[in-house]
Amino acid sequence: MCEWCLKHGDGGKWYENARLYQNELADEYNVTAYLEEQWKNMETLFLRKIMGFNSIGLGYKMKMPIIGRVIRSLVEGQIHSEKKNRNPARADGHFGQVLPLEDAQHIIGNLAAEPIIKNYCICRWMQRGVKDAVCINFGQLSEVIEKHTRYIPEGVKYRLDREEAIEALQEQNEKGYVASVWFQPVPYINAICSCETPECGGLRLRNDFDLRTVYKGEYVIDINIDNCQGCKECVSMCQFSALRYLPSIKRVIVDLDKCFGCGVCRHACEHDALNLLPREDVPGQAGKY
Amino acid sequence: MVKKTVIKVDYSKCHSKANTDPRDCRKCLLICDPAIFLMHPTLEDDHPDPHNPEIWRIDPIWLSKCTGCMKCVEACPEQAITVIPGTSLHEMKAR
Ligand code: SF4
Ligand code: SF4
Ligand code: SF4
Ligand code: SF4
Ligand code: SF4
Repeated sequence: MCEWCLKHGDGGKWYENARLYQNELADEYNVTAYLEEQWKNMETLFLRKIMGFNSIGLGYKMKMPIIGRVIRSLVEGQIHSEKKNRNPARADGHFGQVLPLEDAQHIIGNLAAEPIIKNYCICRWMQRGVKDAVCINFGQLSEVIEKHTRYIPEGVKYRLDREEAIEALQEQNEKGYVASVWFQPVPYINAICSCETPECGGLRLRNDFDLRTVYKGEYVIDINIDNCQGCKECVSMCQFSALRYLPSIKRVIVDLDKCFGCGVCRHACEHDALNLLPREDVPGQAGKY
Repeated sequence: MVKKTVIKVDYSKCHSKANTDPRDCRKCLLICDPAIFLMHPTLEDDHPDPHNPEIWRIDPIWLSKCTGCMKCVEACPEQAITVIPGTSLHEMKAR
């Protein structure tokens, strides 16, 4: 459990708290108005300035001694923001966490508010030029996105019932996409994404610039050495380069510091050698999100 | 010294007015492994109409991750991209 769980989990994981999915909470925070503003021109996100800085050439800016540290605290403060005057166009308070398929499906099956829709992943559209209808959004966000037809997949049923959404998540996860859950804005939860790197804006900031815009999952992978046959299939599934095959010992090893606990590698293993362990139970990984 | 990568997109070539809508072409987005480019509507306060082709642009954003491979320059059918490679911070921690 991370600090979000302590603040918003009511004793459990933040994303398992039913209260954070409810309409009443969304209304209390005026969420629809925020989302309408945010989604109008979502594609301009990285051009918008935070206290004078936009994301152009971010890596060079972050290498500068003092400015680098200033940008870090500005960006992290903005993504984690719970302030009243949050700026939707900058996605203030749009924080997320990686999670395994089981947890994502539990949310869709039991917690997500209706209606549930699938729409084009904006990150992949604006960074890779690919239209991929893999974002599962729900509650008050669905009705906002529906007004913007460019995000809505053509010629398919995009409003999903719970079963269909669970099935969609399964398919996307097996393909190799990483599931992630999002506040938008904190503390209202309304999205489960299926991301890849480097297109995903959140994972980009995290992986390339070490900005804590997305947290690692509540788990890490464990390799059962006796079961691993060294087939290497799992290595190609990992979006975070956490797995590597070693010819000398003819098996796969994991770099736990890189593992996000997404569990996607498990789909490739036919020898029951990969399992998730709670991050908290793994010495050296507890509390490292 | 860190020498910054400079990438320019010539909007007299890549623009709906030059009969190239970046949303149809997208070749630079597809070919660039580190996904340096961003396709976006222009940044204006009053939210321009996203269905207007004239407001769509390609902009290089993540310059420090450019590896200088020049594949985008070769792939662009309009010869709209120039790249002057600098220091790639690829796979180097920003911290
Ligand atoms: S967060 Fe992930 S799935 Fe959602 S829009 Fe971005 S890349 Fe796509
Ligand atoms: S090794 Fe970790 S990060 Fe990589 S796919 Fe497996 S669970 Fe995900
Ligand atoms: S897929 Fe399973 S058996 Fe194959 S290398 Fe990975 S862990 Fe080992
Ligand atoms: S030179 Fe290569 S890495 Fe740099 S922007 Fe072009 S395609 Fe991408
Ligand atoms: S490849 Fe060239 S013409 Fe095509 S979208 Fe990119 S910059 Fe524009």
